[in-house]
Amino acid sequence: MSPATEPFMNQPKERYNSDSWELHRAVTPKLIALFLLLTVLIGWSAHNTEMDRAALENIQAVGALIGIGDSKVVSGATGFIRKAFPFVVKSKTETERLDNFDPDKLPLFTHVENVTEREYDTLTDSYSEVDIQYLVHPFGYLIKVLVKMWETLEMAFWGTLFSIMISLPLGILSARNYTPNKAVYSGARGLLGFHRSMPELIIALFFVLMYGFGPIAGIFALAVHTSGVLGKFFADEIENAPTGPQDALRTSGAGKLKVLRFAVLPQVLPQYVAYVQYIFERNIRTATVLGIVGAGGIGMELKGRWDLFDYDHVSTILLIIFITVMLLELISQKLRARTM
Amino acid sequence: MLELHRVSRVYEDGTRAIDNVSLKIGKGEFCVLLGPSGAGKSTLMGMINGLVIPTEGSVVLWGEQLERANLKRFQRRGGMIYQKLHLVPRLSGLNNVLNGLLPETSLLRSLFNIFPEKNQRRACRLLEEVELEEKHIHRRAMALSGGQQQRVAIARAFMSDPNVVLADEPVASLDPSISRSVITLLKETARQREATVLCSLHQVEYALEFADRIIGLRAGRLAFDGSPKDLNAQALKELYGTRPVPKMEVEECVVPEPDFIPELQVA
Repeated sequence: MSPATEPFMNQPKERYNSDSWELHRAVTPKLIALFLLLTVLIGWSAHNTEMDRAALENIQAVGALIGIGDSKVVSGATGFIRKAFPFVVKSKTETERLDNFDPDKLPLFTHVENVTEREYDTLTDSYSEVDIQYLVHPFGYLIKVLVKMWETLEMAFWGTLFSIMISLPLGILSARNYTPNKAVYSGARGLLGFHRSMPELIIALFFVLMYGFGPIAGIFALAVHTSGVLGKFFADEIENAPTGPQDALRTSGAGKLKVLRFAVLPQVLPQYVAYVQYIFERNIRTATVLGIVGAGGIGMELKGRWDLFDYDHVSTILLIIFITVMLLELISQKLRARTM
Repeated sequence: MLELHRVSRVYEDGTRAIDNVSLKIGKGEFCVLLGPSGAGKSTLMGMINGLVIPTEGSVVLWGEQLERANLKRFQRRGGMIYQKLHLVPRLSGLNNVLNGLLPETSLLRSLFNIFPEKNQRRACRLLEEVELEEKHIHRRAMALSGGQQQRVAIARAFMSDPNVVLADEPVASLDPSISRSVITLLKETARQREATVLCSLHQVEYALEFADRIIGLRAGRLAFDGSPKDLNAQALKELYGTRPVPKMEVEECVVPEPDFIPELQVA
């Protein structure tokens, strides 16, 4: 008997009922319909969000880079890059604008520079040469940016501190096993959700209206938004804490708050520290942009310089922000390795 | 002083975890609760410390019926030792013992973890009594060995100067040499304070050695109540059934018959 005619398995049968069973099919009309629908939706959305134009611009940009035609994208980028370097480190101030400037008693590290500049006179429609004296500080601008960066870090610190102060009580109230009643639970959860759903920049806009320009608005904005995030983390952590020790203290007659303090808090503390660290890092990153709406920090300087097309100043600021964030990431990684 | 009047615990599906148990335990007695797993030992203890509410009958402590309203007051007069210890792992041994006195510590002091020196001294003495050395008391509970943790748990249970101490399989997770010393410590500490102890055990030999009185539970019913010398082979058999008492149950292993495997011939 050849293998081909040999009956499959050892019970030969004329017909198998299973021959008419429905098999698994990878491609079904339903799947094709779904795929078509998705394609249409994505196409529509891409047009809505100008993704088609983006593709076109990118192709043009590549063309411009290899020397065919010109591109808005490339000219925009080169416009920035041409002016962005070198980084501005020194600061220049016209001596005429300084009150009681004494050329014999210059401030520390500064020197005086005389520059001849052409000045346009609108009345006579002619150029004239003017000698302007500048007081130059070799690291003046760098120091200014660093001071602003420090202010940004401080904003993040206070924002995180207030955030903890808001989220700790709210977190406890929105932990299902420690909330006094359902209404308080829903209220606290709702409030945390509300805080979470408001982006910092938008809250900052409101606080700028209320407190004026400056770090107060930024700090409060950070505190409100991140308390929503932190509070939820805190609450979830309390709910998931091991129940054994809690039961042990409860059956010895200890009240809710004491059980929370001694059976829950020590257990969740490492996690809390990790969350706060994460929120602090996040707050530093956010604080750098809050200045754009006038809420203090390095972003205010950034926005001001950007609007004046001082891209060389902007690049200094960006560099400092980059270095700071990198450094903090490094430090917090070291810290985390120690606390875990 | 500790009375159970015909208590039962019936679950919704009709199973009776505790079925019509009546008990009277006097002051200072060291009672050992014996019985196979699932006999209702933990449930019975839970009824006494208020974790489990009896569906029938009543628990009477010091002539007063245990109710939801006076539960906290009763719990303060009782100590509890658990099989899984339930210490707070990240707190120091000393702090865990002090936790036993939380109900008596003011809220403000508790929140900032500032216990009065008097209480700390008391905790140290208890720790000395359960033979924990000074160098260990500030270590986190999770860093202590099983035996040391159980000593801390005993000290915690006695911190509130309890009249009744319930110990739910206190030596289940310890090796035999440490088990003996832990039960000895438990008994000795209780004897000095004239505290009543209700301790559930799986080791019959310890029950025979330490108990003033043995209470046997089987399928939620009282199966034995008497002194260790009354616990003879017949009583043990009634209590644990036909199973060999101290040994682990070994499930019968069924080796299946190998199925008929079709042989494929290759030409």
